[in-house]
Amino acid sequence: MKVFIDPPNSLILFDLVERSGHEPLSTMAEIQEKIEKVELDMPPMNVSVEDVMKGLKYAGIEVPSGVRGRLAIWGPMIEAAEAAIIMEDCPYSFGCVGCHRTTLMVRYLLKKKNIPVLYVDYPNDEDQAKDLVVMMREFLEGLK
Amino acid sequence: MSAERETRIILISPASNITPDQLVRTIHTMGKNVTVKESCYGCVLEGKQDIVRGIINELRELDPNGIFTKVRAFHAGDPRRCRAHHGTRPGFAQLEQEWGDLWKIQRGLERADNGEKASKREIQEKLSVEKFKKICEVRQ
Repeated sequence: MKVFIDPPNSLILFDLVERSGHEPLSTMAEIQEKIEKVELDMPPMNVSVEDVMKGLKYAGIEVPSGVRGRLAIWGPMIEAAEAAIIMEDCPYSFGCVGCHRTTLMVRYLLKKKNIPVLYVDYPNDEDQAKDLVVMMREFLEGLK
Repeated sequence: MSAERETRIILISPASNITPDQLVRTIHTMGKNVTVKESCYGCVLEGKQDIVRGIINELRELDPNGIFTKVRAFHAGDPRRCRAHHGTRPGFAQLEQEWGDLWKIQRGLERADNGEKASKREIQEKLSVEKFKKICEVRQ
């Protein structure tokens, strides 16, 4: 099954989803297409006209361009997703990297899509890491 | 993702006994048609999708819970990202943080393999209207 991960470029989530035999939907794969087909230097910071139009499908014109640029990539991934895993309180998710408006929009889109979603905490210690692994395994096994 | 080209970042958990050099030498001895670049955290591997995935499965046998991987969008040695060409590394702060925490995931995987269960997650209760009113009220 196709599993959307949030943060969409997380190494931990990508690896654990793939270990369970599912396909993680990550930003990297989407960006790879943009580098090769559209030849953008630095997506998603460089966007094409199509990206702007795609972003408008998920967020209004009054929404900051950064949010729309991100949603131009993540929106189609959410549409393709059959399940999702969200990791909360990631220590690196602050400032423009963590763009909270996009996070809220992503959660809204996932809720609207009505697919199974698992919320996990970023592992700050060994026990939390064990909880993360066990919860993800149970959730992903249940999807089969 | 293209089946023609897949680039992977392979990271070794800080708690693993495997070294990046060992990882790269193992890949070289497989004699497959791929590009490998040794890095501080492990290596970058590039080649056809089926070959790359086969190599990853073999590498995992070295240390099943200590080797992690994710897809990389840019080619191995892409001048836009490669440090040798002064390429920028947006997202490296995240990768560095997650790499530093991989030992926790490694221990988590080992404990999950031993049959340990997840502890109950504390769910933060919603703030009641009465409590919210008390917070808002100005003390005189």
